[in-house]
Amino acid sequence: MAPFYKYGFFGDEMSLVLAFVLGTGFGFFLERAGFGSARKLAAQFYLFDMSVFKVMFTAIVTAMLGVTYLGWLGWLDLSLVYLVPTHLVPQIVGGLVLGVGFVVGGYCPGTSVASLATGRVDGFVYAFGIGAGTLAYAEVYPWLKEFVNSNDMGQVTLPEVFNLPWGLLVFAVVMIAVAGFSAATLIERRIGDKS
Amino acid sequence: MKLPALTLNQKLALVAVALGTLALFSVPHRGPVVTLDTRELALIVEKEVDHVTPSELAGWIVQGRSDYRLIDLRAESDYATYHIPTAENVTVAALPGFPFQRTEKIVLYSDGGIHAAQAWMLMQAHGYRAVYTVLGGLEGWKDDVLYPVLPAQASVADRARFERAVALSRFFGGEPRAEGAAVANTPVDLPKLTAPAPAPSGAVSPIAPRKKKKEGC
Repeated sequence: MAPFYKYGFFGDEMSLVLAFVLGTGFGFFLERAGFGSARKLAAQFYLFDMSVFKVMFTAIVTAMLGVTYLGWLGWLDLSLVYLVPTHLVPQIVGGLVLGVGFVVGGYCPGTSVASLATGRVDGFVYAFGIGAGTLAYAEVYPWLKEFVNSNDMGQVTLPEVFNLPWGLLVFAVVMIAVAGFSAATLIERRIGDKS
Repeated sequence: MKLPALTLNQKLALVAVALGTLALFSVPHRGPVVTLDTRELALIVEKEVDHVTPSELAGWIVQGRSDYRLIDLRAESDYATYHIPTAENVTVAALPGFPFQRTEKIVLYSDGGIHAAQAWMLMQAHGYRAVYTVLGGLEGWKDDVLYPVLPAQASVADRARFERAVALSRFFGGEPRAEGAAVANTPVDLPKLTAPAPAPSGAVSPIAPRKKKKEGC
């Protein structure tokens, strides 16, 4: 039944329209969470506001539980869901590069667009930087190609890598999230009091 | 003893824990085992969503789209004589063991429509869902894309459609034919396999090289 695109319920044009609708919704909720402001995002790194951690981890847990139950009910064919292939080392390096950009600029790619939409100048500069960086990356890609494509593990999931039952991993991630939320609240109280 | 009142966040956390615990017993990923929903298959056939028309396919090739794999099911010698540009040759017999990704969109064609339709069923039985056939197969490709015919009594809309078809036809090395009645029965030769052949060095091929399409974010 789902994924709808893979079952041919709609074509490419419609998928672009849906992507726009979903993207707009995503941006709306980023803004609602206060992530249109670099101050809120930077606060995460000073540990006095853990909203970023909480919102993102909540999104992960919500999506994970939804996908698990839809798959269990047989409404979603998980083996047809596209996964970005894992290239362990290049992706760790890429993640660090993104993290540095996050700390320096106060945005991640999605939030910078949300902030651009509300007319913030820093969001515009950041989004422009993403565009310029993407172009630059495309130009040097031939030299990076070998590294970027190294360590190919294919489209893998954690249950496959660790050879654990799917349900056990879901349970573990939920527990980690709940423990993380409690810890985050404690940290906020401690550091928030001082500042 | 009275329980302390829970905040909304704590209640939501409890819901997550409950759902996570129940998920311990879930089997969401059925892996390689496939159950065929014959009613769903019948609906797909009836609604004809499993088809790609030759002109649609031609458009995709011209655009250089790479989010699908075009599979030629005919014998190797036929493939060598002519195939739709960008097609890969996988015979029906070789199909079951061929390493397709289940997330790939696969477009099948053979000479007519029958082999492709049978192969489509075969693929469904192997759990590949995003499988399509080219309407009319290679015959359809010849008639609609390579050698489009302008009907004798063509309306304005017909002519406009024909104009577009002419451009596609030239691109793929075919030859459009006007006034159908006179030429409809003359046998046509397939174009020499020049379009997809590697372009001479320096020349730019009109067909973009296949790129791995990135999905996701």
